[in-house]
Amino acid sequence: RGFCVPAGPPSTRQLREAEEAAPVFQYAGKAAKRKDRVFVWGFSYSGALGIPSFVKPDAGWKKPRRIQPTPYRLETEDKISSAACGYGFTLLASNTRDITKVWGMGLNKDSQLGFQRSRRDQTKGYEYVLEPSPIPLPLEKPQQTRVLQVSCGRAHSLVLTDSEGVFTMGNNSYGQCGRKVVEDEIYSGSHLIHQLKEFDSRVVQVVCGQDHSLFRTKKGSVYACGWGADGQTGLGHYNITSVPTKLHGDIAGVNIIQVSSYGDCCLAVSDEGDVFGWGNSEYLQLASVTETTQVNVPRHLPFKIGKVKEAACGGTGNAVLTEEGNVFVWGYGILGKGPNLIETAEPEMIPPSLFGWSDFSPDTRVAHVRCGLSQFAALTNRGELFVWGKNVRGCLGTGRMEDQYFPWRVTVPGEVVDVACGVDHMVSMVRSF
Amino acid sequence: LNAAPERAPRQQVRFLPTPAPGGGGAVELVAASVPVLADHPLVRGPRFRKLKIGAGHRLDVKASGVFVLGIGHGNKLLTDLYNCHLTKVYTVDGLFGKATDDFSDTGNLVEKTTFDHITREKLERILAVIQGTNQKALLMYSNIDMKTQEAYELAVKGLIRPMGKSPPIITAIRCLQFALPEFQLEIHCLHETQQYLRKMVHEIGLELKSSAVCTQVRRTRDGVFTVDDALPRTQWNLQSIQEAIRNCQLKVEAELEKTLA
Repeated sequence: RGFCVPAGPPSTRQLREAEEAAPVFQYAGKAAKRKDRVFVWGFSYSGALGIPSFVKPDAGWKKPRRIQPTPYRLETEDKISSAACGYGFTLLASNTRDITKVWGMGLNKDSQLGFQRSRRDQTKGYEYVLEPSPIPLPLEKPQQTRVLQVSCGRAHSLVLTDSEGVFTMGNNSYGQCGRKVVEDEIYSGSHLIHQLKEFDSRVVQVVCGQDHSLFRTKKGSVYACGWGADGQTGLGHYNITSVPTKLHGDIAGVNIIQVSSYGDCCLAVSDEGDVFGWGNSEYLQLASVTETTQVNVPRHLPFKIGKVKEAACGGTGNAVLTEEGNVFVWGYGILGKGPNLIETAEPEMIPPSLFGWSDFSPDTRVAHVRCGLSQFAALTNRGELFVWGKNVRGCLGTGRMEDQYFPWRVTVPGEVVDVACGVDHMVSMVRSF
Repeated sequence: LNAAPERAPRQQVRFLPTPAPGGGGAVELVAASVPVLADHPLVRGPRFRKLKIGAGHRLDVKASGVFVLGIGHGNKLLTDLYNCHLTKVYTVDGLFGKATDDFSDTGNLVEKTTFDHITREKLERILAVIQGTNQKALLMYSNIDMKTQEAYELAVKGLIRPMGKSPPIITAIRCLQFALPEFQLEIHCLHETQQYLRKMVHEIGLELKSSAVCTQVRRTRDGVFTVDDALPRTQWNLQSIQEAIRNCQLKVEAELEKTLA
């Protein structure tokens, strides 16, 4: 009869028409912005990762996670512009003009995260802060000042602002906070945040060593205070200094563009590409200029490796980055050239092919180097993060617990912009695709 | 092939009785080189009745490109070449804006999306991440202890490769052409299938917050055999094949020696 005809397979024309009639979905518009994210990994029981459910699970099925072996996203409300990892605690800072500019998490036994009022007892403070909590800074103009950078040492922290100098908090038993040492001072639950303003020009970088602090000013001079028994204050003596004092020695008159320290050794880079070092040299860090194990005056390190752009100083090993994008390492420990290279006094280059350089991508080069206590991290210009060194409690982020003897990629879902290395954890700032 | 001039028959030395030069009756044995009767063409028949042909790495129906075949003795070389685990190079063409169920443009349409936010930089960033994760997989599946000095040295030279079974690994990937909505990638890979490459194109589309289908997969290199060595359909005749085998012999031997030595 022909009233109802079965459909049959669709002809090409019907397929094409169906395709053109299909709705188009839009997932990202033309002006889609890349989001900034923070990823953390490493040892979590100190609270330094900022995720409370790792330490105190909030659901019945969750178990406490001692180590986070791969990067885990940390949710933050503001865009974090600077981060620093100390010995069991972390500071995050944002470039905003809001009242809250700095957040801290982790150990707070010496008030290195300021005073965190406990909710159970209003007079006492928290000793472990499990999630990023705002740190109240005594700013004169809280809605105009911006925080440029933060830095953390063993039990103290420094916050650098653009117009109100440097704020220090935490342990001051060696004068590392830049104020006079008070006998038998109790640091836990202390409200005291000291402000430092007396420098020859504006401070542009602050660096914390284990128990000392370094300040670099706009004019290119370096100030130091804190413990000096290894000569890490570089002031010519081995005593403690409680007031930031200017360094002389080989860096007098030299325009220093970067300072770095994490343990008891310090490195400085001048604008001409020279490297200066002082402090502990028990691990051959400064053995190229001297046989002594402590150097208390900055000495020029005569390395013939080209113009140096950036230096990173770890506990026992050092790394520098040259203008061509090559990474040189020296010192003691796992330096990144296989298990056979344990110590060297002269810098050795790490082959660029380990950082992703190949005939296919010849313009891949390392853009930044960072150091933890016994780890190294390198960021390439393609946004990849390479780590190597001792895998202390999973801090390398590779997903394995073994030490890494040569640079290994860390899988991060995004382009890594900056990374901060600590003793047993790391924090990275990442931009999403 | 059977009409080609054949090898000369084998010769053998036989002692044939010939009458002695002296007188009648006495028989002497004289050595003479005589062709073996078993080699005679009328006894033996045509030299080739069957040819054993084996195929190298598989190629899809929808894909094109270099396809390696082995004839006779070449089949044994094929297994050796497979154990060398050399990389294959593909040019993959893709199209943004569509997603289908079998990841190619002839499948049933699943979704259409916008793609005008995609730029070449974003694509290259995604490709860098893919390369990075595959690099890690390369090191992990090669079953070398990471703590040894030789692992470090191989990693520096870039010679670490999985020498056994492994999931598909992409060793290098880069964008050759980019003209919205089309793009072309060059992919170097190991242990892959063409459907895996099409799925990779689909995943690149998803990662860029859009969708993509694969329009063409073409293998440009399979180990030592490149497109220049390959015979197009017009040259599928005896002389070209023999010449091609001769040209490739040296290359194959050199590669096998280098890798399996």
